Amino acid sequence: MEHIDASAVANKDFNPMVWKAIEDGAKEILISNVHSMHYVLAGTDQPVKVTIEDSTGMYTCSYLENAEVRVKGNVGWYAGDNMVSGKLIVEQNTGCNVGTYIAGGDLVVYGSTGTRVGYGMKGGHIIIGGSAERWAGQMAMGGELIVLGSLGLGAGESMYEGKIFTRDPGAAGKLGGNVAYSEITEEEAAELDALFAEYGFDAEGKQFHVIRPVLDAAGKHKYTLFRPILEPEKAAKKRGE
Amino acid sequence: MAKIVNPEKGTWSNQVISEIQYKAENGKYRIRGCGSPRRVPNFDDLMILPGQLTRMPIDTYRESCSTRTVLGPAAENPLVIETPVMIAGMSFGALSKHAKIALAKATSLVGTVISNGEGGCLPEEMENSYRQSIQILASRMGFHKDLLFKADMLEILFGIGAKPGLAGHLMGAKITEEISKIRQIPAGIDLHSHPRSGDSFGADDLVVKIEQLREMLHKNTGGHTPPIFAKIAAARVREDIKIAVKAGFDGIILDGCTAGTGAAPVMAADHLGIPILPAAVQAVRTLEEIGAKDRVSLIVSGGVKDGADLAKALAIGADAIAIGTAAMVAMGCRVCMNCQAGRCAFGIGTQDPELVAKLDIDEAAHKVANYIKAMTEEAVLLAKAAGKTKLQNLEREDLRSLTLESCAMTGIPLAGSDLVFGEGFGFAAGKSL
Ligand code: SF4
Repeated sequence: MEHIDASAVANKDFNPMVWKAIEDGAKEILISNVHSMHYVLAGTDQPVKVTIEDSTGMYTCSYLENAEVRVKGNVGWYAGDNMVSGKLIVEQNTGCNVGTYIAGGDLVVYGSTGTRVGYGMKGGHIIIGGSAERWAGQMAMGGELIVLGSLGLGAGESMYEGKIFTRDPGAAGKLGGNVAYSEITEEEAAELDALFAEYGFDAEGKQFHVIRPVLDAAGKHKYTLFRPILEPEKAAKKRGE
Repeated sequence: MAKIVNPEKGTWSNQVISEIQYKAENGKYRIRGCGSPRRVPNFDDLMILPGQLTRMPIDTYRESCSTRTVLGPAAENPLVIETPVMIAGMSFGALSKHAKIALAKATSLVGTVISNGEGGCLPEEMENSYRQSIQILASRMGFHKDLLFKADMLEILFGIGAKPGLAGHLMGAKITEEISKIRQIPAGIDLHSHPRSGDSFGADDLVVKIEQLREMLHKNTGGHTPPIFAKIAAARVREDIKIAVKAGFDGIILDGCTAGTGAAPVMAADHLGIPILPAAVQAVRTLEEIGAKDRVSLIVSGGVKDGADLAKALAIGADAIAIGTAAMVAMGCRVCMNCQAGRCAFGIGTQDPELVAKLDIDEAAHKVANYIKAMTEEAVLLAKAAGKTKLQNLEREDLRSLTLESCAMTGIPLAGSDLVFGEGFGFAAGKSL
């Protein structure tokens, strides 16, 4: 195992330094003192295992491919954005918009996440052990978002494809537009069980419901520009008649 | 009493009546193709001063005038094209496959660059283009990482002139199986794409994102990072450009309010944004003000149609122009403004296989190439008359305004005078811009 101490490394030199170590044959790397640098390991595309002992800043593992990265602390906004494959595992919490546009791979967060997790996601899995704030999975185009804790309002707003798995008992009342709350299938539950076993989550697939896009309603968004009362009875009621 | 025959209806033109009738019947606003037909101040409101006794013209037929254009000079691998006319981003979806391939082929015939537009890049476009620009859009439909490393130029898209501030819009009729596959979305739905980039929600984040992209591009292109442009619609040009430069962009594509599009709400096309003429002036002034003019390129678009527009845009200080609707017209589009219906009789703005087959790719490619060649020659002819041996040497001093309006908007002296209105008007009077 290669050990890199990043305490004296400038942000712009950090990734090239790690990439050099990979090029020189490192297969497992332990990095300490990253001190919340930005875009840590973004663009890394080799099959390497990296452990980061502290926290990282924005854009952690952007465009990640093939590599497996574990961050023991927190990660900032946009972690795992545009990820292609591989794994990003975060032991604590994250900022907002993590997993934006993720196309493949697994993004696993043991703590909680901010707003818009999985925004426009197209593939892969995002698993959040804690809660997810508002607009989880907004405008997703594929992939699976699994939230073990509570969901914020507007979950799944305008999803085109993909699924959000939730066991928040109030989830049905927190949906965004163009999505429906539905039962989980046996296949889906089995798939979740496999993921929970792989990442050591104490949960069972059958506890979950699924938020899915409702495509025949696409275009009829929840927040229309203006929704007047066109029925005369309703109008009369509003006037108090 | 005699009836009034054909009355002048003032505000209530046939167009206005038709819009009201549409809304009354359907309870919704109208969507239209092609952008806005409004007449706004444009490059026709300027004239070019030819050389006479103060300077010698360059011989139209016997002396050279260079048209080669370098975009993003500060990038590791600046983009070099042979004419300052690029083909603007128009999606496969809004346009047919034949139209996209024809446009790409045209760029190889004249040596310029084409932008892929929203929703992925057809492999046939990439194969046939001379240089390829790849857009990074908020929707990220059809986008994948590898495209970044194949690009000769990248554009992060913040807005388009025809409907700035609005998400992309593709009517269900145009989302065929093939489009659905390349865009990675279900077929047949009315698509309202993402309005904001989910991976940079603010100007400060953008600074970090661009650093990250550049680092990754440097690694994956072996030190040949292409220029990264910001495509923005003309609005608060001064502030937007300052932010873009601070974020580290190598260039700006500035799209004026008369730019085209496959489908836009009529009100958005007609009333959002400002014309490219005053926007281009404001952009150049801003780049000069912050000392970035030499390292940040400016491409202007939104209704550019001929060599005179090109020459005037360059004289104002742009480095290149982008054409969209004009290139479609060169292929046979009649600007019927019904692209949104997806039934283009000329095989351009449609996905119907029978209609698409009507567009002969090679013939269309030649027409577009001919048009770009001829408009470049027109600009060269004007530049030579003004005494220039390089198109890029056209300068502000070579222009005069024809109207009070263009004089006020551009600060270019009124024809027959060396006078301008001063530094500011109305709200800005007395304030230096
Ligand atoms: S002719 Fe075709 S491409 Fe041109 S505006 Fe009409 S439908 Fe669109």
